[in-house]
Amino acid sequence: MNLEALKQTISDLKSLSKSQFGQSTLQSELDDLYRSFLGKKGEVNLLLKSLGSMEPETRKEAGKLLNILKSDIEADYLELTSSLTKAANQEKLAKEKIDISLPGLQSKKGSLHPVSRTIQDICSFFERMGFDIEAGPEAEIDYYNFEALNVPKDHPAKDMHDTFYLNNSGLLRTHTSPVQIRTMEKSEAPHRIICPGKVYRKDSDLTHTPMFHQIEGLVVEEDASFSQLKGLLNDFLEDFFGEEVELRFRPSYFPFTEPSAEADIRWNKNWLEVLGCGMVHPNVLEGVGVDTNKYTGFAFGLGVERMAMLKYDIPDLRAFFENDIRFLDQF
Amino acid sequence: MQFSKNWLKDFIDIDLSTEDICAQLTMAGLEVDGFENINSKITGKDSIIKLDITPNRGDCFSVLGVARELAVINNLKLHLPEIPKVHDTFKDSIKIKVCPEGPSYFGRTLKNISIDSKTQPLIAERLKLSDQKLIDPVVDITNYILLELGQPLHAFDRDTLNGNISVRTAQNKEQITLLDDQQVELDSDCLVISDDKGAVAFAGIMGGKETAVSNSTKSIFLESAYFKPSSIRGKARRYGFQTDASLRFERGVDFKIQELALERASALLKETVGGDFSSVASSSLKNQFPKHKEISLDLERSNKILGTNISKKSAIRYLEGLGLDPKSSKKNSVSVVSPSWRYDINIEADLVEELARLEGYDSLPLQSLAPVYKKAKLDNANHLSQTLVSKGFNEIISYSFISEQDHLLFGQGEGTLKVENPISQNMTIMRTSLVSGLVNTYLHNLNHGQENQKLFEAGNIFIVKNSKKASEKKIIAGLMSGKISESTWKGKSQDISFYDLKGVVQDLLSKAEGTFSFEENNLDFLHPGMSSNIKHKNKVIGFIGSLHPSHLDSLGLKKDLFIFSLEIENLSFESTKTYKQFSKYPTSSRDLAFIVNKTVNAGDIEEVIKSNAGESFKEIQIFDVYEGKGIDEDKKSLAISVTWQSLNDTLKDSDIDDAVTKIVNSVKNQLDGELRV
Repeated sequence: MNLEALKQTISDLKSLSKSQFGQSTLQSELDDLYRSFLGKKGEVNLLLKSLGSMEPETRKEAGKLLNILKSDIEADYLELTSSLTKAANQEKLAKEKIDISLPGLQSKKGSLHPVSRTIQDICSFFERMGFDIEAGPEAEIDYYNFEALNVPKDHPAKDMHDTFYLNNSGLLRTHTSPVQIRTMEKSEAPHRIICPGKVYRKDSDLTHTPMFHQIEGLVVEEDASFSQLKGLLNDFLEDFFGEEVELRFRPSYFPFTEPSAEADIRWNKNWLEVLGCGMVHPNVLEGVGVDTNKYTGFAFGLGVERMAMLKYDIPDLRAFFENDIRFLDQF
Repeated sequence: MQFSKNWLKDFIDIDLSTEDICAQLTMAGLEVDGFENINSKITGKDSIIKLDITPNRGDCFSVLGVARELAVINNLKLHLPEIPKVHDTFKDSIKIKVCPEGPSYFGRTLKNISIDSKTQPLIAERLKLSDQKLIDPVVDITNYILLELGQPLHAFDRDTLNGNISVRTAQNKEQITLLDDQQVELDSDCLVISDDKGAVAFAGIMGGKETAVSNSTKSIFLESAYFKPSSIRGKARRYGFQTDASLRFERGVDFKIQELALERASALLKETVGGDFSSVASSSLKNQFPKHKEISLDLERSNKILGTNISKKSAIRYLEGLGLDPKSSKKNSVSVVSPSWRYDINIEADLVEELARLEGYDSLPLQSLAPVYKKAKLDNANHLSQTLVSKGFNEIISYSFISEQDHLLFGQGEGTLKVENPISQNMTIMRTSLVSGLVNTYLHNLNHGQENQKLFEAGNIFIVKNSKKASEKKIIAGLMSGKISESTWKGKSQDISFYDLKGVVQDLLSKAEGTFSFEENNLDFLHPGMSSNIKHKNKVIGFIGSLHPSHLDSLGLKKDLFIFSLEIENLSFESTKTYKQFSKYPTSSRDLAFIVNKTVNAGDIEEVIKSNAGESFKEIQIFDVYEGKGIDEDKKSLAISVTWQSLNDTLKDSDIDDAVTKIVNSVKNQLDGELRV
């Protein structure tokens, strides 16, 4: 083939490919066509192979022209492919409209019991203040529940606690305060501890359940003072309720603190008792070998259910132990 | 204690509203239970004030005591009512003998009284306002003195007494019938009032029936005594009751007021029932009276504790008001002796509280506590709870005491810890597993229409080993029943199976240190073919399983209940993570299906494959278990995908083929399993 004939063939192929490409509506058709021009056995390749029989000087020119043809067809192919894809997508989109108002496939959420949630909330504040979380047994002995806390046998203060006694001559702890004693026995001052847990009192009516949860806090440090106790509890209550609370301290009595106080918060205009607290009684500190000339301490205790009732506006204490899923699911 | 507000005016000239008085009392530490404004024909415009007295303030169990507090707070003078001395006309023949436990006793005889006279209207009204029943003028007046001065009195029918009076400890098992008809057998640490024949009163607690004043009484013997708190404490409670007298004696009665109280009663009785009065017979062991030692108050220290700046002068004023007789000692010190009516002031800290009380707790300054850095600790229970919540479980909290019946159904271990004085027979045994709480909660919610439930609880169980020593273990346990998830418009959900339960537990343990194995167990309440122990470090730390069909029947349940339980303290999630290099080379997998006897566990095949798959073995996945058509009845087919990957190069097909041959041969030799073709 001479150069002129080749030029003609190239020009024919170019217009042929253009027109054939233009007529194809399917990607597969287009791909077939592409192969028929540029595939291994395609027209262009066949022409390239035939160059061997040409004069060396025309061969170079012919090769150049064929390569231009190749890239022209290539470009046409890519352009058409892209517009076919676009059209196909357009069609797909038009078909694939779904009802987005149908509900999503959620998994059922679980829930933490409001008492646990409240304990976690409270402990997290005190952990940030550098308190260690401590725990102790619920089945206690008289010594840790009463005697070591300055409540001797037959003391009228025991009337404040209706105790459950056990068949091993122990008892169910009536408060979390025994953990104070156990902690101070096993480690040296200073102390900053917070002890959440179950406590038991023989009492059952609208506002009492025979088991409930308490959190006890204890600070024993060189300069622990009543004003720090007031400040700490004020900060804690603000953190817990997420807003400023009106707080009132008034004298009270616990055998293991002196001075003792009860803390009330203003709730719907009335004063509501939320915390018992005080400076740790020297008898308690001396009983566990703390040097009272060096250290002073303060302690506080609160009822978890009561705090949860206030925070989540729960009207009935008994709901906590009924464990109705309709109740639990709300937390 | 409750009383008429106007009664206070016998002791102090107070002119404050009831609200103000109550506010003052509250802030002084006398809890006000409430007050009620009334219009009385006798006491006029008045209020009933109800107080809840803490055990340390026995001195406030009287109108005098409350008035004394108000006097200090308002800087008022306290005056006692005028007591005209009653003229005595004869000497009492009764001789009195006291003992160390009851070291002070005053008494006198009143002859020829008119028991049918009427109690004076003011006394009657005040008693009524104090919620005190009117009985007869003698008893009414003793009750009146108790409320007014805090001194319990007792009147015996004089004609029923035999010989002399002594205060003594009871003989062991000494019997007495009390005023309220109850018969008690006294222990030898109880105190009695005795005549020559025997006990006539449970001292400080209640009089005897035989010597009680009745409507035919003509003469009485009136007692005003002091008993030590320690000899009264706990005694009435031991017999299941408490009286106005025991309440006061066990908290401590003013040990100097007995004679005054007797005179006051005498004067009131003279006006009401008349009669002839004997001289006062008495006996005291003064060295047995409470010893109120001198206490020193370091003002610098107390100001530091309170964060205050109370001057020595104001401290002395406060302490004086309280009757503490303060004396200035060293530079910054005051020494005091507490008065006969205060039993709660023994050490410096008690004085600090008095200063704080009078300064006003509310006016004490506020100081934030400085935070201290502490390394955070991971709480296993919280960690596991969070995982379960994210898997759709609701946390419950159930009572630690359960019924005998529930224990028999779901208990574990040998002994139990029992509550001696349970609040109900359904709360007698300290749980030895968390299962009954979960099952009962499930039943409650099922009755309210909840078919699909996933519940868990974290709490202690109580173990008693042979030694009777109880120990506690912290457990996290859960229950699942119903569908895996709620059905949706996309389709119905499947029923929960044993493997959903096992999956939950494996997820819980996936981040824990060490390995865990599932082995057969023998818990009575679980289905023997569908339960397993969880073992860790050769120790059983929990179980999973389906509830035993007979238990389901007895609970009236149709659906399976799946339960797990894990000991929390045996798990550790604290391990620090270290990155491991992963392979960059491709993986090769082969799917192998084996036909084995039904008795062969998937775990057995897994073990054989793992130990024969060569060093490039990566993982194994069981993707089908089939029994039925096309397979012998006693056989099953397990389809397993085994994957290999090398850290160093791309594996060759021939290496994999060799490994597969080795696996197939081992499964055949060890488990009699055939490769399915």
